[in-house]
Amino acid sequence: MAVRPKTLGEAQATYSTNTELAWWVFMRVSGLLLIFLVFGHIFFNNIQINVAEVDYAYVAKRFSRSWVKIYDSFLLGLAMLHGLNGLRYSVEDYFRRPGRRFWAKVVLFTVAGVVFVLGVMTLWAFTFEEMGDAVRTLNGG
Amino acid sequence: MYRGREGQWAFMFHRISGVALALYLLLHVVDISLVMYGPDGPFNAFLAFYHQWPFRIGLILVIAGVVYHALNGLRIILMDFTSWGIRYQQALWYGVLGLTTIIGLPILFKIVPEIFRRV
Repeated sequence: MAVRPKTLGEAQATYSTNTELAWWVFMRVSGLLLIFLVFGHIFFNNIQINVAEVDYAYVAKRFSRSWVKIYDSFLLGLAMLHGLNGLRYSVEDYFRRPGRRFWAKVVLFTVAGVVFVLGVMTLWAFTFEEMGDAVRTLNGG
Repeated sequence: MYRGREGQWAFMFHRISGVALALYLLLHVVDISLVMYGPDGPFNAFLAFYHQWPFRIGLILVIAGVVYHALNGLRIILMDFTSWGIRYQQALWYGVLGLTTIIGLPILFKIVPEIFRRV
């Protein structure tokens, strides 16, 4: 960047564009990755089995597997960011009044933040089945 | 609504499926998080509620939305990053609809009978 912004206004004008460009690229890259992650997720939990078989035991067993924790962490992170940014685009398209647009975003980001934390907690609430005796001893079992 | 052609419908379906999937994602994470209450918590009762047929038809719509959104997303990537994508965007959209049907039908044949079968 040859010319540096000199005021807050200039910086906002410059960097918000770059941020938007970064989001634009992110939507395409994450979208491509999500195709594989989401199709796999649907295949494992809805095609390979009858989804009506899903119950506590099934989910608890899934979340105790290391690869599921890793797989679902990427799925959760990418899907939340991709979905949140898509919802933000929609809010900016349909909420024309600045006040309403601001509050719509506040509600959106707050809800998404809470849900994301819930998701991370859920993924890591289960002990690793495959971690071995050292950790099992630490956990008292 | 302005009278656009294929591109407008492609955008509209992408927007509607995207918003629907994002809202479904929020709901899905929240309901799966109930598993943290443990085996004696509300999780099993909650899932039994969700296993009723209206929700399972909703789940088929979610899958249809995923397949369309994914394939049309690929169309958008082709339009953005190739020199020929925009020239063929209409044909690509019909390809998206065709592929959505081709991928969707076997899934439909697999899932619909399950809805009416007792586990």
